[in-house]
Amino acid sequence: MKILVAVKQVAALEEDFEIRADGKDVDEDFMLYDLNEWDDYSLEEAMKIKESSDTEVEVVVVSVGPDRVDESLRKCLAKGADRAIRVWDDSAEGSDAVVIGRILAETIKKEAPDMVFAGVQSSDQAYASTGISVASYLNWPHAAVVADLQYKPGDNKAVVRRELEGGLLQEVEINCPAVLTIQLGINKPRYASLRGIKQAATKPIEEVSLSDLSLSADDVGAAKSMSRVRRMYVPEKGRATMIEGTLAEQAAKIIQIINEFKGA
Amino acid sequence: MSASSMKYGKKLQSSLSEMKMQDSADALVKLAIKAGDPYVAAAVHELATGASKRQLEAQMMETRRTALSLARWEHTPASVLAALSGIGDDAVDLRLDKNPNTAAGVLSNLYVDASNKRNLDLTKLIAQHRNSEAAVLKTIALYAEDADSLLALSKNPSANAEVLACLSTRLAEDELSVAVNKNIAQNISAPADLLERIYRQSDLHTQVAIIGHVNCPDALITEAMASEDLLVMRTLARDRRVNADVLRRYAGSEDAGVRCGVAGNETTPLSLIGVLAGDSSELVRREIASRQDLLPEHIAALATDADAWVRQRLARNAIAPLDVLKVLAADASTDVRRAVARNTQCPLELLELLAADGTAWVRAAVAYQHHSPAELLLALAEDEDVDVLSGVANNPNTPQQILEKLVASNEADVRRGVILNKAATRNTLLPLLEDPYYLHRILMVANPSMHELDKWNLREDPDYQVRFSVYRWAVKNIAPINARYIVGNEVIRRRRV
Repeated sequence: MKILVAVKQVAALEEDFEIRADGKDVDEDFMLYDLNEWDDYSLEEAMKIKESSDTEVEVVVVSVGPDRVDESLRKCLAKGADRAIRVWDDSAEGSDAVVIGRILAETIKKEAPDMVFAGVQSSDQAYASTGISVASYLNWPHAAVVADLQYKPGDNKAVVRRELEGGLLQEVEINCPAVLTIQLGINKPRYASLRGIKQAATKPIEEVSLSDLSLSADDVGAAKSMSRVRRMYVPEKGRATMIEGTLAEQAAKIIQIINEFKGA
Repeated sequence: MSASSMKYGKKLQSSLSEMKMQDSADALVKLAIKAGDPYVAAAVHELATGASKRQLEAQMMETRRTALSLARWEHTPASVLAALSGIGDDAVDLRLDKNPNTAAGVLSNLYVDASNKRNLDLTKLIAQHRNSEAAVLKTIALYAEDADSLLALSKNPSANAEVLACLSTRLAEDELSVAVNKNIAQNISAPADLLERIYRQSDLHTQVAIIGHVNCPDALITEAMASEDLLVMRTLARDRRVNADVLRRYAGSEDAGVRCGVAGNETTPLSLIGVLAGDSSELVRREIASRQDLLPEHIAALATDADAWVRQRLARNAIAPLDVLKVLAADASTDVRRAVARNTQCPLELLELLAADGTAWVRAAVAYQHHSPAELLLALAEDEDVDVLSGVANNPNTPQQILEKLVASNEADVRRGVILNKAATRNTLLPLLEDPYYLHRILMVANPSMHELDKWNLREDPDYQVRFSVYRWAVKNIAPINARYIVGNEVIRRRRV
């Protein structure tokens, strides 16, 4: 039995940052890279299934990205993933979430897992479409924003609870194999043990090229994407103002603002 | 000797040869250079000189990303920040101006640079930095023209009396003076004479801030006592310098805020306490319930107060007698029962009762209570609630064999409790040197129960913050380590025996 977890190395921003010269992204010097938070929960969910199963379960993590992504994949290995695969070609630079979904789908076809997990969204781009795009390319059932999962290896169905607006949960039975996008809070992700980190440092990361997936440079990148970033910018500041004065004045001003909002 | 300590004993021996390398600052710097880690380089930078220093700086500044990270990081040592200031990168300078560790001399140079470039954002950051030199702040006070820098300066507690006086005088005729004087009125460094001068020319709010200032002259306090303004009375009601007659007048005020001030004032006469204990406002009664000079009749009345917070404050009060604590230990409110368990004078019989409370939050208070005996903690160690177990882990009365079990807990809070427990022995703590949570390993480096070599063995930890903390510890202890090493052979030999 095999669970494939699609993960992404995301960029967080410092308080002060600069936009790249082409105006389409933040200057890389100001980005702090880490494993996408949602993917931490996806991996943990896979690990829970692996550790509670009587049968052997292999957890494989896959990411599309350049060399630096190895650091995030090693983090997954340190937490217990059995294998890690990184797919990359420089021509994939600028690919949108749908193209990334296609690359992942081709990888999944080769790996033939029984389940695929992905995060609901990435914290840096927030398209929330990679996992769904994978399901579409595979023509597999999918469930988004999964907040609870009941599934045993070998089952041909899983029961998921999906998080909806207004605090509602929707319980859904889904055929397997399926693609599930996992929501934050579904579990409590573990920290990697020191032993796990040391072992992960020596584990190989399988590097897969586009040609290994029967794809070419013409299938990926910005040109093949259905959406393209035109520019990135900081919008003009809003109406926020600092409340000055003595503490008593500041308190009085806050009370005045609250009363105005309440219509008092 | 336990299996874990034997395992670490072997590590101690194997690290002995490397420990020898630490017997001088030069050797430590050489090790850091060999490590090739920018954060290790930053940790030992202050020890290095000449070519070694340049090598470390090359490691720290190899990429702009690393330089930016170090310039921003709150743990970066001052010497590293000084080195980074020489790069001449505006983005790095911005982070240096914000970093609380940036030294005065560096800030002075950055101020000159910011002035030459007329960079007002950087000037403002220097104006509000706690480490800025008085001379720089005075220059800003005398010559800066932008309101943001001047306002930032007026709030800076590092601005001394002279700087604040210069600022206030310079802006006396400026429309900015009102806002600046309000800030000075709240600035802890403002001297009495300046406060008095501002008081005479300010609005009521500023005057109230000055009355509440620790440096407010007695003459102004005396003058303000005649005021009937609510803000003035609320402020003065808490002031120890206000006399009993004025407090009596305030105790009769229709404003609960004024009466609250009297209820919380240590100098309030006993005759007023009884009156305020029956005050119509629960806010006033809450203040009263925390007082250390309550009479038995006051306590009796407060113990049956309708407001749970009043009972909670009384339950925490160390002067509450046993019979009252017994009643409060059976209170319907969880917070009241918890407060009894947290009371420093809580007797054993009540701790035993509360240890069996149905609410984990109450049992946790017993677990954290330093008067809880080992027997009680043994029972609480069987609890399944993480807050209770964290309390047991923190408690210095917990037997070592229980702490040894708790270090294997899946809950990070529980394991951290053991690390923070001052009674935890080295043998108990040893497994936590491999705790999965990096912050715990940093705490282990700072733990006085651990041996030098226990800490030193974390120098190649996967987390850069742990590696940094190990080398920082080595830098700060380089002399003691050297001295201990000479004795250290004997210590280790004794351990082997």
